[in-house]
Amino acid sequence: MGLMDQVELPKPVKYVFNWGRKYSLWCYNFGLACCAIEFIAASTSRHDFIRHGVIPFAHGPRQADLLVVSGTLTDKMAPAVKRLYEEMPEPKYVISFGSCANCGGPYWDSYSVTKGVDQVIPVDVYVPGCPPRPEALLDGIIALQHRIQNESLKDRIAGRRLDPVTLGADAPLALEGGQ
Amino acid sequence: MSEVLARQHRALTPEETEELLRDRLGDHVQRGMVEYGVFTLWIAPDGWLDAARRCHDERLLAYDMFDSLFGVDAREDGFDIVAILYSTSTGNRIALRTRCAGGREAPTCPSITEVYRGAEWMERETYDMFGIDFPGHPSLEPRILTVENFEGWPLRKDFRLASRVAKPWPGVKEPAELDEDGNPIQRVPGLGDAPGPYDLDKAMAEQAKAVNAPPAPAVEEPDGDAGEQETTETPAGGEPDRGGPEAGATTADATTADDAADDDGEDPAARAKARAEARRKKQAEARAAKAKERAEKAKQAREAADDGGSATSEDGEEDA
Repeated sequence: MGLMDQVELPKPVKYVFNWGRKYSLWCYNFGLACCAIEFIAASTSRHDFIRHGVIPFAHGPRQADLLVVSGTLTDKMAPAVKRLYEEMPEPKYVISFGSCANCGGPYWDSYSVTKGVDQVIPVDVYVPGCPPRPEALLDGIIALQHRIQNESLKDRIAGRRLDPVTLGADAPLALEGGQ
Repeated sequence: MSEVLARQHRALTPEETEELLRDRLGDHVQRGMVEYGVFTLWIAPDGWLDAARRCHDERLLAYDMFDSLFGVDAREDGFDIVAILYSTSTGNRIALRTRCAGGREAPTCPSITEVYRGAEWMERETYDMFGIDFPGHPSLEPRILTVENFEGWPLRKDFRLASRVAKPWPGVKEPAELDEDGNPIQRVPGLGDAPGPYDLDKAMAEQAKAVNAPPAPAVEEPDGDAGEQETTETPAGGEPDRGGPEAGATTADATTADDAADDDGEDPAARAKARAEARRKKQAEARAAKAKERAEKAKQAREAADDGGSATSEDGEEDA
């Protein structure tokens, strides 16, 4: 990123820069189970997350900013998710969509299911539900955009992440700062 | 296969199929049966490959399509293998079933991949899930379904779930009651027996219990249980008359005909209680056995320590 990881941007520049970033999230969907269907529903005309600036047409992980893991992650699949995440360029964000991706869900004590995608990659926003409705994904996207607006890119690149947000469990979002 | 004689209008019946295969394979065919419309033929493990080959090559049978193959845990008898075959010319379906040689320790079953190539991955899956060896299979390793370094055979009934050992179930509701050893207790749940965490769920459960009380009374509430225990003490105190209909339920054997109406309603409850008590007793016994074992171990350890201690004291004396 050159300058970005060494210099803290002046506040107005940071504001405009983050505003641009948060409304241009190229999204890669790692659909593993029925939650992926809800993700697809969220991308189609009724819920339409493109109006929030989420573009679900990333050609591959190397062109993506946002990874949505939707569905049951098995131990056999976990290395693939890890590798895909590592192929994405910084700054990159992860939404864990659905109970299985959050913690293993109903398959918690299965012999083959990973107990949450956060065992493998860091997660920014957890969206609970089995499966969550498309509106829940929109909520998660807005929570993520709120984080992007308020974060320092320098910190992000240096690996200083904010604590993950869990929808429904954390306090309601204070929607200040350019929403 | 161009000279297939069998056609749908002259497809063999299960009895004819069994007769034909018995003629070709002799004693290797054990018995045949039709259950839920599926013809199952039990084969001796030695004749497994021959049976598959006959089913495939015999022109009257012409089972040309391999459908599926899987294992069944037969508890102390070992493991069964079931192969389902289909004939595209007669429309017949057959399930060949055999009991693996080698019992639970080293179950083996001859591979049928040389007859049906499609059986290869099915046999690898069965190896993954049950640990059954298939002599004649091209390669069972690496594991196909689980991660390569997975330990254990997850579909065996005695497989322990590691997460349960490390941490109790984190959900609101325990999906199964566990006994002392962590094995699920199998019981038939009553309607409204396991309400969810919300008030509405509880109300609906109460309603369901009320509606279904006479034919299938659910397991009693803890309060009701305590109340009944009190009433059991009343007849023991020597006043059976005052106990009346309430006591009739708990001492089910001694109930008279005059309070039969109460008996009908509460007899199953008494039975459920007896069952619960038996379970509690069994658990207590298991606990006692474990405690005894632990005490013995501790005793042995103490004895060992004493031996060491005496040795050192002797050393001390020598020094002195």
